[in-house]
Amino acid sequence: MKIRFGTPLAVIAIVAALGIFLVWPMAHVFTRSFWDDRGFTWIYVAGLFTNAVQIQAGLTSFWIATCVTLSCVGVALPLAWLFARRSFRGKAVWSGLLLLPMILPPFVSAVGMKIIFSRAGALSTLLMNLGVVDGPVDWLGHFPLFGIVLLETLHLFPILFLNLVASLANIDPSLEESALNLGASPMRVFRRVTLPLAMPGLFAGMTLVFIWSFTELGTPLVFGLRRVLPVAIYDSVAEIGTNSSGYAMVTFVLVISALGFWISKRLLSRQRSVATLGRLSQARREIPLSFRGTALVYLLVGGILFAAVLPQISVVLLSVSHRWFLTVLPEGFTMDFYGQALNSELTRTALLNSLSFSLCATVLDLLLGFGIAWLCVRKKIWGSDWLDALAMLPLAVPGLVIAFGYLGCFSGSFPNTLLDPRMNPMILLSVSYAIRRLPYMVRAAHAGLEQVSSTYEEAAANLGATPFRVVWRITLPLISANLLAGAILCFSFSMLEVSDSLILAQSENFYPITKAIYVLLESLENGLNVASALGVWAMALLGSGLLLAAALMGKRFGQMFRAG
Amino acid sequence: MNNTSPAAIEVRNVVKRFGAVTALNEVSLSIPAGEMFFLLGPSGCGKTTLLRILAGLETPDSGTVLFNGQDVAALPAYERGAPMVFQNYALWPHLNVRDNIAFGLVERRVPKAEILSRAEDVLKRVGLAGLGERMPGQLSGGQQQRVVLARALVLNPAVILLDEPLSNLDAKLRVEMRAEIEKLRRDTNITFVYVTHDQADALALADRMAVIHLGQVNAVGTPLELYARPPNAFCADFLGEANFIEGHVDGDTVQTPLGHWTWREGRLTGDGSPHQEAAPSSGRARRPAEPGDMAGAYVCLVRPENIQCVEGADAVANGFEAEITGVRVNGATVTVALAAAGLTLKATVLTQRCLGFQKGDRRWWTVAPENVVLLAP
Repeated sequence: MKIRFGTPLAVIAIVAALGIFLVWPMAHVFTRSFWDDRGFTWIYVAGLFTNAVQIQAGLTSFWIATCVTLSCVGVALPLAWLFARRSFRGKAVWSGLLLLPMILPPFVSAVGMKIIFSRAGALSTLLMNLGVVDGPVDWLGHFPLFGIVLLETLHLFPILFLNLVASLANIDPSLEESALNLGASPMRVFRRVTLPLAMPGLFAGMTLVFIWSFTELGTPLVFGLRRVLPVAIYDSVAEIGTNSSGYAMVTFVLVISALGFWISKRLLSRQRSVATLGRLSQARREIPLSFRGTALVYLLVGGILFAAVLPQISVVLLSVSHRWFLTVLPEGFTMDFYGQALNSELTRTALLNSLSFSLCATVLDLLLGFGIAWLCVRKKIWGSDWLDALAMLPLAVPGLVIAFGYLGCFSGSFPNTLLDPRMNPMILLSVSYAIRRLPYMVRAAHAGLEQVSSTYEEAAANLGATPFRVVWRITLPLISANLLAGAILCFSFSMLEVSDSLILAQSENFYPITKAIYVLLESLENGLNVASALGVWAMALLGSGLLLAAALMGKRFGQMFRAG
Repeated sequence: MNNTSPAAIEVRNVVKRFGAVTALNEVSLSIPAGEMFFLLGPSGCGKTTLLRILAGLETPDSGTVLFNGQDVAALPAYERGAPMVFQNYALWPHLNVRDNIAFGLVERRVPKAEILSRAEDVLKRVGLAGLGERMPGQLSGGQQQRVVLARALVLNPAVILLDEPLSNLDAKLRVEMRAEIEKLRRDTNITFVYVTHDQADALALADRMAVIHLGQVNAVGTPLELYARPPNAFCADFLGEANFIEGHVDGDTVQTPLGHWTWREGRLTGDGSPHQEAAPSSGRARRPAEPGDMAGAYVCLVRPENIQCVEGADAVANGFEAEITGVRVNGATVTVALAAAGLTLKATVLTQRCLGFQKGDRRWWTVAPENVVLLAP
């Protein structure tokens, strides 16, 4: 029998890539938090629990993440129940729109939020004009965490919403009907049957939201809040070679995230075995809402969406106005900043950098993602569960961890080469973007392959096509829509990636968009407006990309953001 | 089977396991060139696995597969040259009809002009001329079936494998497609291996067939042989309707609950039909079909059409009286359910001969002894 090298070669290449660019940095972070030049030590890890600054940062982050998670439940649970159990006109459109907040980068929204809530901002002015308050109020000064929690809630609730809707839809209708039949009122059915059965999905979604908000770097940075873990880690980048306490903090974040992710995985797999015994015994009939009910739902969903989009709107307004100081709406319309955003050396380089890094990341993801999905779904190689889990790991590993790990390992091991981010971060930025978004690509390819019957491939082999030709002529064309959707997602998210970009890009020639925005925010003259204009450019790009991806993926688009 | 040229397809002692399940257990078959050979059996019996092994889509755990005497075990699916007609068609939805048909020719690096003309030819042959630009989704089930067939035929293969090709078609289309396949069979010298669970397809189309049961070859023979002289109860039951009556053979009579039956011509058939060429799985030796040679307990197989109604109400040779408990009209024939001596029997009678039959009637029936098949108990 001829020995075929294709599969083993692909396995080796993929495992090597994931090993070097995912496992090694994490292992490096982990070991460096216990070992320094003098050998094994507990002091860095102990510092997490003894150093007052680090304790405060940890607690604040914990507090933010908890608040965000709980308020997301408050927003998402009623919405999910409505969307899973009731039918009303325009439901499909609304559920599509509900994903919108998730795709708008909170980093950019934070800029808008600051405008609204600042001392001389829109809210203060509005309340002053109405005579509610006497003078300007510094909302963010009084309630520093409020803005962050609000912003992240509005950004992250769709994740919980998607997970919950899926959970609720998976519950066999006959389970609820038999509870009704045995005398439970609808409210009691929800409390005693529906909610317990949906609990795994709820917890899984909650852990995702918790991890995201726990590790969010951009928002607190824009709000100027330095005493949170992600920002503390960001600040420790400068002394990465000399002080290992940064490593210890990253390890802490990594452990928390991995734990949460593992728990949510376990819960979800249990839900599958409980909530549905195989297939639903019958199709669910959703109860149509009355006209008044529909109107109320529109008001509720519309209100939430408005709140979520408000910061972005203010960013847009900011980008087209000269002056927004002690007025409710900005004054002095201008399109200059868009021109400036495209003309200055800094922003032009940043746009080009982001474009090329994202493009490289997308190509890498296409290769890796299709390869992994192919090996897992079609080849069913030994250990494919492990490979799949490894590819999904970046969902649990915050960008912060990866960026910090890259900086640590590659600048130490390959100093002054193309792999040294201090010298040239292009390769590492592209790779880190790719690794971060790899799970989406794997999922997209996975979904495509599972949908396409393998008999199409068997028929091609049967008629004389070699394995490579089968993939080229049959498989790839059949799942091209999925791959394209995954690619667009990877590209769009890479364009607005925050933590990798802020940490890895250290000289101006290599700034991506997000770092340029951050730098502009710090600069004085018109910086805020130009940053907003750049943000609007980026949002427009991201928004159209995601709409395109959603159109290509259809109903399965929501699956990309679910926990399991 | 005495010709010297090697069989088009030969399967020797093939074993295939899926985990704890043995899908095929020591299967051996030989299919001469140009034959329409059927693999018939209930679902899950292993027949499709065998077909996939022939196509190279599965690898047997042990045993060999020979095409024209050549061991093809090492050949991957794409070098087997045995195109398959898939049950669910597997027409690529992103390619139009012509490109679907041309697929194999492209893989064989056939020049473009030749591909086009061959595709046109085969489209004409299957009655789809002018539909080359259509996408598979725009075709009816019957048309899709023809495209799949055309996709295989265009390669001028020596062998075509068919996996339940008619199972997705409605009754009328099935009859049409059967005729189509029969025509193909007449016009070409292709060896067909046809998998089905439908005995009607097999009886109607097969030159020879193998009944597969629990991963083993249960019986091999022509449709007529296997229907009229099945070697065992499973085969008898699977190929049409059957009455099984316990009997004790002694000399030229057999004693059954329905009475003594006597052989007039001194001939009876028994276990192991003379045509049975290779059924190692059955493990039983062939027995000469001489009445004197057989004695002891047997199961008598009586096909319903071999139980006939006798005019009048008197005892006849090999006769018995039975009550009619049900009447099912098939069309040209009627199947009558009978109760006699504690047994439930089925008899198939020409419709015009039983116009007056009523439930509850008691009538006399007779069994033609030369059509009784004795099976091992």
